[in-house]
Amino acid sequence: MALLSLSNISKIYQQGELTVPALQEVNLTVEQGEFAALVGPSGSGKTTLLNIIGGLDTPSEGEVMLNGRDMTRLSESELSDFRLFELGFIFQAYNLVPVLSALENVELIMVLQGRPEKERRERAEHFLTLVGLADQMDRRPSGLSGGQQQRVAVARALAAGPRLVLADEPTANLDSENATALLDIMYTLSQDKELQTTFLFSTHDPRVMERARRIITLRDGRIVADEC
Amino acid sequence: MKPLFTTLSPALTHPAMLVFMGWRNIWRNPVRSLLTVSALAGGLIIVILFSALLEGMSRQMVHYATNLTSGHIQLHRQAYIDDQDLYATLPWDYLTALEQRFPHLTFAPRLQAAGLASSKDSSTGVMLRAVDPKREGKVTVQLDKVAKGRSDLSDNRVLVGKSLAKKLALKPGSELILVTQAADGSIGNAIFIVSGILKPLEPGFDRAGILMSIDNFQQLMVLSEGFHELAVHLTQPEQLPQIQQQLIQAITDLQQQKPLDEWGGAAVVRSWQQLTPMVANMMQMSQSMLTVIGFIVVGLASMGLVNTLLMALHERRHELGILRAIGMKGRHLMLLMLIESFFLALLAALLGAGLGSLAGLWLESHGIDFSSRMPDGYDWGGLVFEPVMTAYLNLTQVAGLSLLMVTVALLSALIPSWQLIKLKPAEVLR
Ligand SMILES: Nc1ncnc2c1ncn2[C@@H]1O[C@H](COP(=O)(O)OP(=O)(O)OP(=O)(O)O)[C@@H](O)[C@H]1O
Ligand SMILES: [Mg+2]
Repeated sequence: MALLSLSNISKIYQQGELTVPALQEVNLTVEQGEFAALVGPSGSGKTTLLNIIGGLDTPSEGEVMLNGRDMTRLSESELSDFRLFELGFIFQAYNLVPVLSALENVELIMVLQGRPEKERRERAEHFLTLVGLADQMDRRPSGLSGGQQQRVAVARALAAGPRLVLADEPTANLDSENATALLDIMYTLSQDKELQTTFLFSTHDPRVMERARRIITLRDGRIVADEC
Repeated sequence: MKPLFTTLSPALTHPAMLVFMGWRNIWRNPVRSLLTVSALAGGLIIVILFSALLEGMSRQMVHYATNLTSGHIQLHRQAYIDDQDLYATLPWDYLTALEQRFPHLTFAPRLQAAGLASSKDSSTGVMLRAVDPKREGKVTVQLDKVAKGRSDLSDNRVLVGKSLAKKLALKPGSELILVTQAADGSIGNAIFIVSGILKPLEPGFDRAGILMSIDNFQQLMVLSEGFHELAVHLTQPEQLPQIQQQLIQAITDLQQQKPLDEWGGAAVVRSWQQLTPMVANMMQMSQSMLTVIGFIVVGLASMGLVNTLLMALHERRHELGILRAIGMKGRHLMLLMLIESFFLALLAALLGAGLGSLAGLWLESHGIDFSSRMPDGYDWGGLVFEPVMTAYLNLTQVAGLSLLMVTVALLSALIPSWQLIKLKPAEVLR
């Protein structure tokens, strides 16, 4: 069974009199361990699709099956827990809590998950080391560069042990060097046999697209290409 | 440095983490936090000072209500209370016994009767009140309140109320003839000398009162078995309820050892609140007034907090959306904001209670002096107050008001916090 399967997803936004079809009859399956990019021009529906998969938004029509559960049928509280345990999120920028250090930011989710102190400390240090921040763990976000902040966000997402990491333009605020470096880190982690983490990220950046193993192209809310 | 929330036990981590984040959050914008704290603290200081002045006034009022004529507690026979029965006396033994049993209290026995007073020109009905000058001076100040002449009850000297003196055209040194129906049925009748004119303390006594010594009264009325009234003074008025109970117990014991005659009824022990319910009610009213004003002032100060929270909520909505997206629940965010409010309110409570108490203590020792504008003092609730308003700082009251402030602040913080429950990450992250 596929990790993620979307069937006939439509999303229509109502803006006063105007109806904006952001997604139209989207069908998509993603298998465990994939490293897939969602591309398309601005306004094509990438963010909307990721939000629906992540349970941050609900589709107007259709079904989202993630790890055997129908996301559209979960309550608000169940969705929170689902996101907490099964999903990782990386946003474009300002992912971190400014009053917490890098280490505390990574530990935060694991505190919510109820992991014991020792375990979460070890995991936080482990993943921060994997993303190359062994020496910056005690810094607050304001003391880190944009690229370093995004790497903390990657460490935070992975330390929680999710099945699927959703990243909406994680490199949009980075220069191309930092962008490819971040993608390389994400790719390396996705190859980890133990973690078995699946990545789905959106991007505009052709260099980032090069790193993807699968490219799903959206246009006007429809999938127009899907190539491996 | 090890993060605080990881050093706490796992069971505590969840709320502890929110406490940790909340504390750091309030220092994100120190100026704004301090302004919010100042507004809350300022409100608390105003309420504390108001309460201290009110308490000072209440104490002054109790002081007047008790020290002018009534004392803190009074004892009577039931028949005397019901119809001023001349024969309903308490025996002198009782006074001796009570004075022995309660050495830290002071007692003043009194007798009262009606009579007819005549001066050279006219005559009128009067109220005779007999006191023991030595004992009375330790219970009330009524013998000191002389407007003209001297306070002297020795030999056949008496003090008369101001209005009565006017009616009978009496001056210090004037002669006065008193005619009464004595206890044995005979007609009592004697000549007295007015030694002084009393300031008005109670309206009734001012119009008809004559103050004399118990010796003179006993001769005039042929009544030496006992006294009608026993006024008691407490050095520590806050112990009144306990002392009243002890007196009731003592009087019950005495009545068993030395039974009273039947027709006069039992001995009754009443506090000044029971004797002058109007004053007691007024003090209760000022307490409710304090609560209402406290709520209003603190409520207004809390609007600053609400504003701060709304601004913080707006500024941090992206961050809050992310927290929500990664799995924090709406109620956790709400709790986080309430914790921040609690910290702000707590700081304000400490600051306000500290500064308010200092200011209150200053007012307690200095008072507010109106004597230049109101040399004779002011009239309030039927009593004449001195022109210096003194405060009295009650620490229990300060603690209670601080708690009120924290509660009101947290209640008003619910308004902005509530919005966090409904926060939609997809909307704020756009
Ligand atoms: N809350 C909303 N209300 C109304 N219309 C919306 C809303 N959110 C998105 N849309 C519309 O839906 C369409 C898809 O938007 P979406 O943000 O998913 O595009 P995108 O591919 O992420 O674009 P970009 O590359 O600029 O981030 C757009 O036409 C957008 O205007
Ligand atoms: Mg987008």
